[in-house]
Amino acid sequence: MATEFDKPPHWWGSFTPPHAQSLQWRIGPLTLIVRCLDGEWQIGHQRTSNFDNDDGSWEFQRCDQLPETLDTHSRYIFSQLVKQLTLTPRLADRPIISRPRVPFNLTAGETVTLYISSPLWIELALATSPTTLLEEIAIQRPSDTWFGPSTLEGELCYASATHCRINLAELPQRVHRAITPVLIRNQADTTLTVERINLPSALLSLYACSEGQLWTPKVTLIRGRDGDMAELKIDDKAPKQTTSPTLLSEPRDTANAGVLIRAFNAVFS
Amino acid sequence: MSEYWRDIINFLSSEKLWAITRAVIVVILGLVIAKLASSGLSSIAGKKIDSHRAMVLKRGSYYLILILFVVTALHQLGFNLSVLLGAAGIFSVAIGFASQTSASNLISGLFLVAERPFTVGDVIRVGSTTGEVLSIDPLSVKLRTFDNLFVRIPNESLIKSEVTTLSRFPIRRADLLMGVAYKEDLKKVRAILEEIADKNPLCLEEPKPRYIFQGFGNSSLDIQFSVWAKRENFLDLKNSIYEEIKTAFDEQDIEIPFPHLSLYTGSVTEPFPIQKTADKSSNSS
Repeated sequence: MATEFDKPPHWWGSFTPPHAQSLQWRIGPLTLIVRCLDGEWQIGHQRTSNFDNDDGSWEFQRCDQLPETLDTHSRYIFSQLVKQLTLTPRLADRPIISRPRVPFNLTAGETVTLYISSPLWIELALATSPTTLLEEIAIQRPSDTWFGPSTLEGELCYASATHCRINLAELPQRVHRAITPVLIRNQADTTLTVERINLPSALLSLYACSEGQLWTPKVTLIRGRDGDMAELKIDDKAPKQTTSPTLLSEPRDTANAGVLIRAFNAVFS
Repeated sequence: MSEYWRDIINFLSSEKLWAITRAVIVVILGLVIAKLASSGLSSIAGKKIDSHRAMVLKRGSYYLILILFVVTALHQLGFNLSVLLGAAGIFSVAIGFASQTSASNLISGLFLVAERPFTVGDVIRVGSTTGEVLSIDPLSVKLRTFDNLFVRIPNESLIKSEVTTLSRFPIRRADLLMGVAYKEDLKKVRAILEEIADKNPLCLEEPKPRYIFQGFGNSSLDIQFSVWAKRENFLDLKNSIYEEIKTAFDEQDIEIPFPHLSLYTGSVTEPFPIQKTADKSSNSS
């Protein structure tokens, strides 16, 4: 039996479920259920394929029992149980290949800012010091893809179809995806046709703005004058489009932050 | 008794004892230096080369250094090394003839290490045997098959035969073979297959799935649909996508035919005669 109660302002944060009762979130296509019993935590989730991708709402409720139809159900046993669970949104651990639904062209010398949305993962950890990571669950499992010049050379990434919107007002507010402003500057003499963009998710931090939308810092991609190299720059602060941003998670990989010079075909294709 | 003591004193004061002592010291020194040098060499090189090569380097350098010290020790004892080397040459020819197979495997093992078609932990297929490489030894390669059997394959056969390394590249292609009935619309079938591949998260978006029409089969239109997966997800993708194809074909009323056999009576226009037989109750009465 599910009951609505004290809906928190965001789906992330710290939660302490009442004993033997479950907390249930519905975020995008994912339904996440957690329960704290004597000496153990139980976590279950399931995803639906029938959902409106532009739906930005989320639900939170308390149930007495775990549903029987869960895709996965895991138990974590502790001798000293910590009853506070922290949910943190995280970006992907692999690059995201964003494919515009319609490829676009950028003529020589042009600059454009696109808004690209990326799928999110939920990190479930116990509020110990340091935190005890239980598991990470993808809100919407993206497809795997390969990004490289051949099947011998390249890297495994996640694929994400995007509208590559250039108007911020058209952007749907969705709590299950993060938005990255991507500035592309074509300094080469030839037109740049963008079919796919390699977004380095592991290098991006995650911010929440006051309206609840999640953002990553701005990424600048500059196609060099010779056309063969691309410069990739990641800001170290929240994008200017956010109001009162709060840092939610640091980048997964901090070793390669800063300005990166990459081969053109490692960023665009 | 005094003669016995005199012999001992003579021996102790002779050159021979000094030579033996020097030889023993050289051998002990050789053992220590060989141990230290081989360990140091393997730990320095171990960061750049795989564990198996590091092991070969360690053993090789150990025995090479030790042999040099043993030869020096023999020289100290007054052995004529040219005679010894000549004897060793004849001995190795004799051993070579006697153990042709082992020698061949040994040399093949060296080539395998140098060529490095696979390393420990890789999954390889040799003939009909597929398994994980447990070790690459001087004479043979040991595999653990997926039904948990231990298989020893001589190095010589690995050099001579075709070896497929299944775990070399991070992505693999699964070729899904299927047939649909002659009455079906192939464009519709292709669209369904592409939609299934698009929705399955284990199926790579790039390289794109490939649809190949294989031809007009005996009972069906034969199709190959090739999809790519991360190596670790290969079997999961194959299982899940076949299930999804079957479900989608059932929902869309696309027939997966079984072999058909048409019988004719000699004249295509003439149907088989149907004879109505009396039912059992009337027969028994």
